[in-house]
Amino acid sequence: MNALMDWMLSTPINTLVIGYAWSWPTLESLHFLALCTLMGSLLIMDLRLIGFQRIIPLSAVHSLMPLAIGSFAINLLSGLGFLFGDPNTYFQNYAFWVKMGFIVLAGINFLVYFTRVEPQILKLGPNDPTPGSAKLVGALSLLFWFGVLSYGRLLPYLGTGGG
Amino acid sequence: MAFLDAVGLAECVHGVEATQAGFLGWLEASGLGECVRSSTPGYPSMIALHAIGMAIMVGLSLVIDLRILGFFSGIPLSGLKRFFGIAWIGFGINFLSGSALFSAQAISYMVDWVFLTKMGLVLLGAITAGILQPAVANAGPDGVLPGSTKAVAGAAIVIWIVAIIMGRLTAYL
Repeated sequence: MNALMDWMLSTPINTLVIGYAWSWPTLESLHFLALCTLMGSLLIMDLRLIGFQRIIPLSAVHSLMPLAIGSFAINLLSGLGFLFGDPNTYFQNYAFWVKMGFIVLAGINFLVYFTRVEPQILKLGPNDPTPGSAKLVGALSLLFWFGVLSYGRLLPYLGTGGG
Repeated sequence: MAFLDAVGLAECVHGVEATQAGFLGWLEASGLGECVRSSTPGYPSMIALHAIGMAIMVGLSLVIDLRILGFFSGIPLSGLKRFFGIAWIGFGINFLSGSALFSAQAISYMVDWVFLTKMGLVLLGAITAGILQPAVANAGPDGVLPGSTKAVAGAAIVIWIVAIIMGRLTAYL
């Protein structure tokens, strides 16, 4: 782990992230904007899976998936920027690992949705009730992603600190 | 009142004397300001709630604005009108958590142009949501919206983006 942190600190990414006054706040602004579009698209997709606003066809809410994945990609990249900028602080903070744990759980939940649930529900028409598996996956998705958001925001205040 | 005692608010209210003049000073010195500023869980829990409310209000607003502009056109507008209700819950969470955070540092916030710009933009953003909500609710089954509604949605996207950036920069200036 120490070797990994030393390597991260020696990369040009580290210089870019902490060598300029504007780079950290720029990454933070990007991270916040993309978390909004990620959570906004997830709220509509997951609440529809749970059964809210069945008037929306499931295939249509699915069209929000590229927005969610693109937003997550922005947050993955900006998040890696923070990590390369200050690896010691993050790796030593338990809240960071709880956040990563929630991301892994959300990822597994997405794979279950993609392989097991989606093939069943795309055939459903508007106003058809979703199966229990879809409701469960939708509720878990919201739980895990709000966990990611909460622990991410609490990160500077828990454990040993850090931005 | 047992609950208030348990959270320590009552103790804070009794334990703090208003020493600074004016409403902002009174607010900062109030039990609420003192508790949010100094209690271990108070400030972080308000910060976390503020992020959750932001994700709900701004996230849903941005997606609905994009839909009004013509993206994700398979989603019927009539199916989105009840999501405004959820967005307003997020706004309410942020009004309350934001008021608590403001009370902790009222004097320095009120002279911070970044913070004041953010507040103006949040007000404008809320106004756009108030305009767009009935427009979406009244959209016909063909889902055609007038150009003026699309203009408001386009403005709303810019307003929310700048509001988020200014909110983040409030921590720096």
